[in-house]
Amino acid sequence: PSCLFPGVVPLLLVLHWKHGAGSPLPITPVNTTCATRHPCHSNLMNQIRNQLAQLNGSANALFILYYTAQGEPFPNNLDKLCGPNVTDFPPFHANGTEKTRLVELYRIIAYLGASLGNITRDQKVLNPNALSLHSKLNATADIMRGLLSNVLCRLCNKYHVAHVDVAYGPDTSGKDVFQKKKLGCQLLGKYKQVIAVVAQAF
Amino acid sequence: ICDYSVVPLSSFAVCIKCLGFDLSVFSEPLPLAPESLEVSVNSTHQCLHLQWSVHNLTYHQELKMVFQIEISRIKTSNVIWVENYSTTVKWNQVLRWSWESKLPLECAKHFVRMRSVVDDAQIPEPKFWGDWTSWEEVDVRRSLGPDPLFVFPKDKLVEEGSNVTVCYVSRSHQNNISCYLEGILMHGEQLDPNVRVFHVNNVPFIRETGTNIYCKMHQGDVIKGIILFVSKVFEEPKDFSCETRDLKTLNCTWDPGNDTGLLTQLTPSYTLLESFSGKKAICTHKTWCNWQVAPDSQEMYNFTLTAGNDLRKRSVHLLFNLTHRVHPLAPFNVVFKNVSTTNATMAWRIHSVGNYSTLLCQVEVCGEGKVIQKQNVSVKVNGEHLVKNLEPYTEYAAQVRCAYASHFWRWSEWTRHNFTTAEAAPSEAPDVWRNVKSMQGHCVVTLFWKPLSKLQANGKILFYNVVLEHLDGPSTLKLLSIPAPANGTELILDQCSYEIHVTANNSVGSSPASVIMVSRDPGSKDVGEERVKGTKRGFALSWKPQPRGVTGYVVEWCQCPGDPLCDLRWKSLGPNATSTLVSSDAFTPGVRYNFRIYAISTERIPYLLERKTGYSQELAPSDNPQVLTSNLTASSFTLSWKDYPAESQPGFVQGYSLYLKSKAPQCLPGSEKAVLPDNSVCCKYKIDNPKQKTFVVENLQPASFYEFFLTPYTSVGEGPLGAFTKVTTPDEYSHILIRILLPMIFSILLIMILCYLKSQWMKEKCYPDIPDPYKSSVLSLIKSKENPRLTIMNVKDCVPDAIEVVNKQEGTRKSLTDTEPAKHSYLYVLPTEKRYPGPGPCICFENFTYNQAALDSAACGHVPAPSEAQPNQLGLVTSSEHVLKALGKNYVNSLGEIPAGETNLNYVSQLASPLCGDQSSLPTNPPEPVLCSEYKMQMAIPVGLASPPSIPLLEEGEH
Repeated sequence: PSCLFPGVVPLLLVLHWKHGAGSPLPITPVNTTCATRHPCHSNLMNQIRNQLAQLNGSANALFILYYTAQGEPFPNNLDKLCGPNVTDFPPFHANGTEKTRLVELYRIIAYLGASLGNITRDQKVLNPNALSLHSKLNATADIMRGLLSNVLCRLCNKYHVAHVDVAYGPDTSGKDVFQKKKLGCQLLGKYKQVIAVVAQAF
Repeated sequence: ICDYSVVPLSSFAVCIKCLGFDLSVFSEPLPLAPESLEVSVNSTHQCLHLQWSVHNLTYHQELKMVFQIEISRIKTSNVIWVENYSTTVKWNQVLRWSWESKLPLECAKHFVRMRSVVDDAQIPEPKFWGDWTSWEEVDVRRSLGPDPLFVFPKDKLVEEGSNVTVCYVSRSHQNNISCYLEGILMHGEQLDPNVRVFHVNNVPFIRETGTNIYCKMHQGDVIKGIILFVSKVFEEPKDFSCETRDLKTLNCTWDPGNDTGLLTQLTPSYTLLESFSGKKAICTHKTWCNWQVAPDSQEMYNFTLTAGNDLRKRSVHLLFNLTHRVHPLAPFNVVFKNVSTTNATMAWRIHSVGNYSTLLCQVEVCGEGKVIQKQNVSVKVNGEHLVKNLEPYTEYAAQVRCAYASHFWRWSEWTRHNFTTAEAAPSEAPDVWRNVKSMQGHCVVTLFWKPLSKLQANGKILFYNVVLEHLDGPSTLKLLSIPAPANGTELILDQCSYEIHVTANNSVGSSPASVIMVSRDPGSKDVGEERVKGTKRGFALSWKPQPRGVTGYVVEWCQCPGDPLCDLRWKSLGPNATSTLVSSDAFTPGVRYNFRIYAISTERIPYLLERKTGYSQELAPSDNPQVLTSNLTASSFTLSWKDYPAESQPGFVQGYSLYLKSKAPQCLPGSEKAVLPDNSVCCKYKIDNPKQKTFVVENLQPASFYEFFLTPYTSVGEGPLGAFTKVTTPDEYSHILIRILLPMIFSILLIMILCYLKSQWMKEKCYPDIPDPYKSSVLSLIKSKENPRLTIMNVKDCVPDAIEVVNKQEGTRKSLTDTEPAKHSYLYVLPTEKRYPGPGPCICFENFTYNQAALDSAACGHVPAPSEAQPNQLGLVTSSEHVLKALGKNYVNSLGEIPAGETNLNYVSQLASPLCGDQSSLPTNPPEPVLCSEYKMQMAIPVGLASPPSIPLLEEGEH
């Protein structure tokens, strides 16, 4: 399942960010052939549920690790600095059809995966000694890559959806350090909130 | 940080001079004023960049000018900076100047203007300032965006201890904004209604990842912040030094000092600049840099090492002569030639340093880890040195290093090489000792010798030669060669008078001989043994000096006294010695060591002088004696422990302690109260004589219970606490009773045994089954009282009518509980109508055991005739009751008073027969064939009266 995101995320992100934050990617025609490299897992939905549960189970710990590593004022001003007010975050409708939910899940995981890449890159510079945070960020990104692959497989095989338009969050590379920390904290707060809803919906 | 560079504007300008213009030709000089002033902002570095140009210059004209720059903040009248910038201005040149603001530029408007004056010798006096340019306004706040709050400067990098100014810009006029540095409230000053400024002085280093500064707007829950990166102060490089190893390359090294931080902006860069040559080298390493020496024989070098990061630059200088900084490479090809027993020649080569240079080399020779020789040698290319005064067959380590001879700067590294000198003959005779035993007329001599030390051996000892010279008889020599590493040999000699020479041999030669005499009488007189007290250092032994005729002394002992092999050790001493300290790491506490001190006579014959024994450290006894109790009386008992090996204890046994427990509250005389390790109280007898092996405990109470425990003690303490032995004293009179009772019991037993053995005789004598009527007192009574004529019936007169036959199973035993009486069968010999009562005809029968008496008495008993038996039919009485009744009656009758007129006689108790077993065990249910008939018809019966074939003795199954 991890074959879809084989370490080319940064390249993809650069390409996508040229279009600006939140702008959708060019949509692949619907009738494009839906081809996956490997056959999907027999119990794919169960695997997706497990991955969601895994992410949901570790999201809060990741959030805590992150804001603790940033130092004051982050731990004591979570509502102001780490509130989940990410404006361009992809929506999710828990009462939709499975296809809709899978498409929305795909967008969310793609968005989160890219944002986690930014956060990981920034934190390696800003907090080079926070090894446990780096480890947790990498582990979360790994699960997301697998989940994205599984969701795409499911969409492909069952609903014949070959591509999904995705949007990414703002690039933080040009922002000041305090703003990078804050955006990362907001993103992880949003992630913690959203992943709970998504895991419940599946 | 701010860039001050000046860049020419264009290279294709019109050559005014070529066109014939010149300033000097003008009657009135044209105004030279700054024009086209542009101001830009670099927020990252908080710099204002100014850019302008000066018109009216002719082609190729260069003028020195001074530009006065004024900077105002907030309003034009608030001038905060005035600076005169001097530079040479060329034609068509764009001039640039930068200024770094302490206050973040976003926090306030800034205004810039300038004017100029020509300060060039070409221009005659008077000099005057030109007009000011118009104010250029710089207002960064316009481009900040719509956020309600901003904090500046962003991501500023400063050194620890510097001063930083922080400000916030808010969109509202409300002043309910608080700012914090790492959670601590900061106090600032209001710059304008929307801007507040905070001065952070002497900023501390908190962490490499930056210091968080943030401002909190209480209305709207807005927090904005910045990260202030504080680095450690960038230090100047230390220990900057350069040297060359080959006069071709210089290697410069330095200590960079502490790290300043993780940020890339803080990563230092190092540059090496040589001022004489003007060359520059960028150093890629943090601590060293190489510099190629110029081939033009530059001798003097003046280096400047510049280290810097984004915050600071540091420089250090070094001036030196190249030949004074020569650090030669280590010598190579070190070899040793002509190695003899005491000398060796050391040779080596050196790396050339320039042409015709001379090196000073230092040679060190080390033996056993110590420097034993040190020598300096001057060397051009090849070095050589003769090392003298060495020991034979010894390994040495030699090392050499070199330095530039002209100007010593530094030694090279050492180059080491080991060598071993040649062997020589052993220099000392081996230390030899012997042990002599006589065995079956022979002398068994065990020779021991100590291996020679390395200095004495002068080589590898290959074998030992033992030469035996017989002294008593004709002088004969016998040579034994014993290969190394043997340290002794055993010789069986027919006689004991020998002179023995022992030499050690290596590949070069033999050592001097060690001579020892062996004689049959070793001169060992009966020498007493003294005790010696050992210490941790060993045993200090002393002996009486011998008046004369002693060539030395030898102290001998066994390292392992308990071991049969003994591990004999000895120590040889000179003739003047009277004491020595025998020390060994192998001396074990608690082990008794026996030392024998021998004196060596002038004839080299050793004789025993003294004997010592002792412990390196005495211990308490390890075990207690097995105590035997004897002579137990009512008031005493004796203890003995004669088998106790006091000599094998781990200390000299000084005596014994006897602990006695009793119920008596007071201790007996001779003892005292003592408390045992288990806190029990008892009485203690102290036996001071270690040779005493018995002890009598007296004054005891009769019939009392005592417990005792005996333990030896040494100077260290007593033996381990063991179990107490219990003793109960007997009653006072019991021994008297025993003296009487025992013989009585013995006598009774003897009588009983005799009685048992002679029971038959006794029975016949005392209580026969058939009493002899003639011996009966009854008869005399009867005779005297009633009928004097009454006589005893003669047996011969009786004719038996029936035979009582008692059958008994041979070999069967009767259970005690089986009360069934024996079955008696009555063999009716005579036919009778009335079996009972009434006298009938008698039958006489022969019984060998009884018959003799019967014959003697000439009597015959009457057998009562069966009362109901049919003629010619011998019935069998099967009722046991009848039998018992009959037996009882008959027996009573036989013993008791016989009524007058009764003449019947019963033979029941005549049945004792050895072949038939126990008479009392009568068969009760004899189902088997008759094995033995206890009665045998003895008397011939008239044929007409009893015919055997017609008599069914027993029916089958009735035995």
